[in-house]
Amino acid sequence: MIGCYDFCGHYEWTFEWLRQQGGDVAVKAYWDESIHRDSQTHASKLITDKGIEGMKEYWGPTLTDEGAVYERTVTDDVFRIDMHECPSKGFLIRNGLHQFKDYCDHCMGWIGPLMKDAGFVIDHEHNHCGQCWWEMRRANDNTAASKTAELSGDHDVRLRDDWKQPNTDHYDRSTDSDDKSTLP
Amino acid sequence: MTPDASPLPYTDTKPHGHADFYFAINATFRFIIARFGYDKLRQYWSDIGTSYYKPVSDNWKRDGLTAVADYWRAFFAAEPGAAVEVIKRDDEVRIEVRTCPMIKHLRDKNREIVSCFCQHCHFVSEAMAAPAGMTVRVTGGNGTCVQRFILLSRNEPAQQLGDIKEAA
Repeated sequence: MIGCYDFCGHYEWTFEWLRQQGGDVAVKAYWDESIHRDSQTHASKLITDKGIEGMKEYWGPTLTDEGAVYERTVTDDVFRIDMHECPSKGFLIRNGLHQFKDYCDHCMGWIGPLMKDAGFVIDHEHNHCGQCWWEMRRANDNTAASKTAELSGDHDVRLRDDWKQPNTDHYDRSTDSDDKSTLP
Repeated sequence: MTPDASPLPYTDTKPHGHADFYFAINATFRFIIARFGYDKLRQYWSDIGTSYYKPVSDNWKRDGLTAVADYWRAFFAAEPGAAVEVIKRDDEVRIEVRTCPMIKHLRDKNREIVSCFCQHCHFVSEAMAAPAGMTVRVTGGNGTCVQRFILLSRNEPAQQLGDIKEAA
């Protein structure tokens, strides 16, 4: 049986298996069709129906159950996550698992299309070491991403001594996993 | 048991997995069938058994049926909602799954289960067992089943897929 205890391990392994079968297009289709539109239909419904309130209802229990160390900052206009210890990437790092070129892309791979359907855009960075931040705003809100500590104060993951890593990925008002630039 | 002493090849900081990940496993099977076909799904199951679970196979090859029993006891202890008995005999390990945690959770959450879902237990485990000189037989399914890990030297009749129930 394939289990849920080490899910992140075989999930990451599956990305590379799919890439070998059908290229990057198959992996991207997997994140959208299989994870966003099948596995995570409960998240899609909450966020599409309730917007930012639905994000609170989805990510609160989910990240707690997964064992994340994170902070959430919510206003009427923005939903921000500061992820200090990603349980998923952390599992891979601790167990020395690395098959696919960028595991962290999977989050934008399924959350991006979900947010697009729900009418939101995403500012996001991940440093490939288990830290990242997210800001979700309505697509018609042109507010730029917050500056460091502006929105989440001392909880801002960008204040960590170990935040800056080579090749941190950056997304600006995006909903597409390919739509990233890499910070030196 | 310390993490280093765990029979599991990959360990986490929390004792149990998150059951909603079962949604993704079920969805992954559905995606592979839709995009590549059933035969490719069987290949996926075999490949994951051979590759991702290779450390388990290596343990089984080194330590035999004792390692098989230890692995499955630890495995099901980490799966939320499992009710399973693992019985070690001289020439086989018998796993009596009284409540399959995956089927139960998918059902409880009203998810459509891929009909061939329970076959994955045979094909993944067979790929893990073969390098260790063992073979696997599964009977039942759809929530309860018996899985037997048998020494190849016993010349057990081949697995009949008809012995594995479709999931619903």
